[in-house]
Amino acid sequence: METGRSSCKTRIEDHPILDFPARKEVTFTWEGQELRGYEGEPIAAALHAAGIKVLHTSHKSKRPRGFFCAIGNCSSCLVVVNGVPNVRACTEKLREGMRVQRQEGTGPAPRSRE
Amino acid sequence: MRRTADAVVIGGGVTGASVAYNLLKLGMRDVVLCEKATFCNGSTGRCGAGVREQWGSKGNCLLAKASIDMFEQLADELNYPHDLEFKQKGYLMLAHTEKEWAQFQKNVQLQNSLGIKSRLCTPEEAREIVPALNTEGMLGATFNGRDGHANPFHVTRAYLTAAERMGADINYFTEVTGIEVSGGKVKAVVTKKGVIETPIVINAAGPWAKPVAEMVGVKLPLFTQRHQILVTEPVGWLLDPMVMSFSIGIYCQQTPHGSLIMGIGDPHEPKGYDIGHSWEFLRDMSRIITRLLPALKDVRVVRQWSGLYTVTPDAHPILGGVPGIDGYLQAVGFSGHGFMLAPAVGQIIAEMALGKVTFLDVRNLDVGRFERGEYNVEPSVV
Repeated sequence: METGRSSCKTRIEDHPILDFPARKEVTFTWEGQELRGYEGEPIAAALHAAGIKVLHTSHKSKRPRGFFCAIGNCSSCLVVVNGVPNVRACTEKLREGMRVQRQEGTGPAPRSRE
Repeated sequence: MRRTADAVVIGGGVTGASVAYNLLKLGMRDVVLCEKATFCNGSTGRCGAGVREQWGSKGNCLLAKASIDMFEQLADELNYPHDLEFKQKGYLMLAHTEKEWAQFQKNVQLQNSLGIKSRLCTPEEAREIVPALNTEGMLGATFNGRDGHANPFHVTRAYLTAAERMGADINYFTEVTGIEVSGGKVKAVVTKKGVIETPIVINAAGPWAKPVAEMVGVKLPLFTQRHQILVTEPVGWLLDPMVMSFSIGIYCQQTPHGSLIMGIGDPHEPKGYDIGHSWEFLRDMSRIITRLLPALKDVRVVRQWSGLYTVTPDAHPILGGVPGIDGYLQAVGFSGHGFMLAPAVGQIIAEMALGKVTFLDVRNLDVGRFERGEYNVEPSVV
């Protein structure tokens, strides 16, 4: 599969009516690679800013899936965060040190917390 | 819709679909099926999708075993282009009480004597089969690898499309409102879309079997009862078999798609036709299942729904005709396990309709058994 990366800049820095206050920069990993993003922004936003668009692959045909509904509804952007599958990249907030991985299909089996 | 038929099947669930297909397969030419809504609208499309041979009575064991034999060939036989999602990864039945454990030992003995290769397991062996299982408080389990899962919608659709190819006239949104009987013989079926003349009518109306039987003056000892169920988001592989407990009253299975289907029997559920759903179910189900399978704690529920069991006094179906009404047959009262018995039941009812000897002797499953007092209650139901 293609890497799902593009070099096009996707962050909007100046906007006619919206302000973007300064936020704290944090480090996280995508597929083991260190990346930087802003704390509290959706994981998907940080990944898109880094040019990463393939976040998930479909169950049956393993087709690329990515950011789609943006409101946690459609299951297109599911990623594995710190080993936990089915995390919605569009609504989950980015935190320092998160290990984010592309989810292949259903991802790893859920594990007991006990 | 045709106005004459060799047989009219009432009900577009899996039982009616299987009966219609088997009538044509055995040589009947003009088969009409009437369904008041659309296919799988009653209990079939709402069921837990399990198939198992591990029963506590000879009658249920033999019907289920013959059905699993048929499920194994079904996609080929019906020439169905889609996956029936038939998987045979077993049923693991958990025993948490002494009474249950004693019953399981009897069940396995009976099952083995009928050629069903179920076996008793220690809690450790059960954990080897389902590593995610919490075996605390468990006395043992039984396991049978031939049991499993199939998709009720695909199975029903497979029967219906095969029947249609062979010439069946399948009518949806065609509610039956009466059955004309004269001189002790079935003459016609009256529907909201007209009358169909027929010498044979088969009542496969699921939860509505009782009102249909009343159209020919037959009183069936049936009641309907809501059973609730839910499905989770698809997750990675967690368990192969259906995990089931009668004393706790639950079942849980991971479908080939990865989602988990689970349900719980509520002994206080009133009789009736309510198919709403409740938050109490969601609460109780979550509490119980996360105790048995702690890994499910973070798994999201996608949907909950309910369907009706149509229950007989002995939790065995009522199969066959009734004395004094020539041409009336019924396949009703499956008590929560109609889907898994449908392949064998379809053939049996078709054989009866055509006056053949049935491949399994089900004379003791007639409706008269209740008046005669000749019945034993199936012990292993949720």
